[in-house]
Amino acid sequence: SQSTATGGFPPSHDDRVGSRPFPGSRRRKGRGPFRGKLYSEVTARGRARGRARNDDDDGDVAMAEAHEGPRGRYVPYAPRSGRLANINITVKREPGERGGGAGRDGGRRSWFKITIPYGKKYDKSWLLSSIQNLCSVPFTPVEFHYDHNRAQFYVEDATTASALKQVSRKITDRDNYKVGCSHPPQLCMSKRYDGSQKALDLKSLRVDPDLVAQSIDVVLNQRSSMGVVLRIIEDNIPELQSLNLGSNRLFRLDDLAELPLKAPALKVLDLSRNELKSERELDKVKGLKLEELWLDGNPLCDSFRDQSSYIRSVLHTWGVGQSPGTPRDPLRPRDPRDPQGPPGTPVYYSVYDSSDRQGLLDAYHDGACCSLSIPYGPHTPPRNSLNEYFKDSRNVKKLKDPTMRFKLLKHTRLNVVAFLNELPKTQHDVNSFVVDICAQTNTLLCFTVHGIFKEVDGKSRDSVRAFTRMFIAVPAGNSGLCIVNDELFVRGASPEELRKAFALPTPTPSSSPVPTLSAEQQEMLAAFAMQSGMNLEWSQKCLQDNDWDYGQAGQVFTQLKLEGKIPEVAFLK
Amino acid sequence: MAASVDFKTYVDQACRAADEFVNIYYETMDKRRRALTRLYLDKATLVWNGNAVSGQEELNKFFEMLPSSEFQVNVLDCQPVHEQATQGQTTVLVVTSGTVKFDGDKQRYFNQNFLLTAQATPTNTVWKIAGDCFRFQDWAS
Repeated sequence: SQSTATGGFPPSHDDRVGSRPFPGSRRRKGRGPFRGKLYSEVTARGRARGRARNDDDDGDVAMAEAHEGPRGRYVPYAPRSGRLANINITVKREPGERGGGAGRDGGRRSWFKITIPYGKKYDKSWLLSSIQNLCSVPFTPVEFHYDHNRAQFYVEDATTASALKQVSRKITDRDNYKVGCSHPPQLCMSKRYDGSQKALDLKSLRVDPDLVAQSIDVVLNQRSSMGVVLRIIEDNIPELQSLNLGSNRLFRLDDLAELPLKAPALKVLDLSRNELKSERELDKVKGLKLEELWLDGNPLCDSFRDQSSYIRSVLHTWGVGQSPGTPRDPLRPRDPRDPQGPPGTPVYYSVYDSSDRQGLLDAYHDGACCSLSIPYGPHTPPRNSLNEYFKDSRNVKKLKDPTMRFKLLKHTRLNVVAFLNELPKTQHDVNSFVVDICAQTNTLLCFTVHGIFKEVDGKSRDSVRAFTRMFIAVPAGNSGLCIVNDELFVRGASPEELRKAFALPTPTPSSSPVPTLSAEQQEMLAAFAMQSGMNLEWSQKCLQDNDWDYGQAGQVFTQLKLEGKIPEVAFLK
Repeated sequence: MAASVDFKTYVDQACRAADEFVNIYYETMDKRRRALTRLYLDKATLVWNGNAVSGQEELNKFFEMLPSSEFQVNVLDCQPVHEQATQGQTTVLVVTSGTVKFDGDKQRYFNQNFLLTAQATPTNTVWKIAGDCFRFQDWAS
């Protein structure tokens, strides 16, 4: 398998994943126009369907009249004409002998002809086993054959025929359409529809009190039930914009394949807390033009624990990603930065810019590797100016000796951080950051950060550099990331870059009074945020509440986390 | 010690792949542009100056639209990608830097990086691009 291919969603669709359930406002259960018109419309349609069924019976004496009483049962979710989806069975008494089973007891027996209109479109064994599954008595079909589009066979006695008649219209065909359901699911759906938001909330449908009270089992992970839901959407609310299918034990999305056709305006799909195991399932609904897709609480998130918020947080704090679509002019670069500037200093760089980079140990994988190289360029200063970097520069185009190639690639966490700790102290201009998300799978996030920094000590104090840095990260706890590969390009800044560098004030993390903190406190804060996985705001709160006692704050944090008392928002970055 | 010996094998392999790949890639880019997408996996994504292009068809369209080029690579670096990130699929990170002159445009400096995955064939191993990210150094000016 192509585990490193950028399968699943294209990496650009960063805003299509999220981890929070619907915002509260969308959860309101309103009574839109859906409710009012639904019932009468459907009833009328059901009646029409009932008439059509009579026509199927060719005027034969139907067993149903003896056993089932009047045909009061209507079909509320009648398919549109030309798309017959239910399976009908008619039963006709046949005089005479037939087949090998006839006259076994020496006497004449009644035969019953079973007819399934349009039965020819189904696979014989599937059809027969479907009927058998629902039929209360075992039966042996005799002389199974097709007559035009009809499938026909015979059974030997009235009891079997009667049982078969009961099966009629309870079978779900391959168009996922089940006829056995009656109106209660629909009432239940109208109750769950918010017309003002065009939002249908089918979360935990199976345990809906109304349905449970009526012993109606709507199990959305069965094709039949999902088919009913899609049909109701198509017929009644094609304008649907938001659909919540959370907590319905969905383990695959095949049954949603038609959703893009039935609800073309859908923008928000909540699949939270289901049993989806693979990202590939999402391919089945890729026809949807979604703005939000919620997937938290599915096994597919386990490999990237809380992947969605993780990626969102990366995109949010590190700048932005790229936009999808083929560029009109490939020579005109796109600036994906938010004009408002980034919302805060990435935790990684607040540690990187501190006086001691040991705190980065928590950001790297045990088997991480890191290398640095100096690209040539018009603005690359004389060699001695980048001296601090040149001794570690790894350019395998020039460097052919395998031993040196190996030596210049720093490997394992301790070596990587020790190496980074030796590089000149820096201050990064977060406003200059541009992030490209290069690849994204559920085990890997590969992104490139471009930006500007200046050196803050040593001989080259205040020299402004430009950098391009490629990270490959794997998921880590607390929706964090753990870096496995790190490649850093450092070059001199161009005059344009020099002009813009540090022109804007560095943003501070939202609503936290970081500037009032001492240098020591800021370092402690950065380290605490890195270690706990909480954002700066909550990390600071935790430290403040513990009088900046790092150890105590850590203990309190661990305890509260164990007890599940730390809200998710504390980890949003 | 054994682990680092293994790691050195990976590093050597990554360097060989990078050396070979870079020559093929830029030569194809400059001289046989039509064949370029063959170097990409079907599901590969290219992020070009901040624009994402995905899939063979889109890539073909994109490279057709891109003016003819003369690439000069000055710096090349590579790393074996940690297996935890790739679920065991042998993958190499390749980064390049150099100059490019597109027809009708001035000479520019660029940075580019690739994720290459090893595709085993009956006779040998072929490296294909799973991810590609390109930016002009002076993209903002």
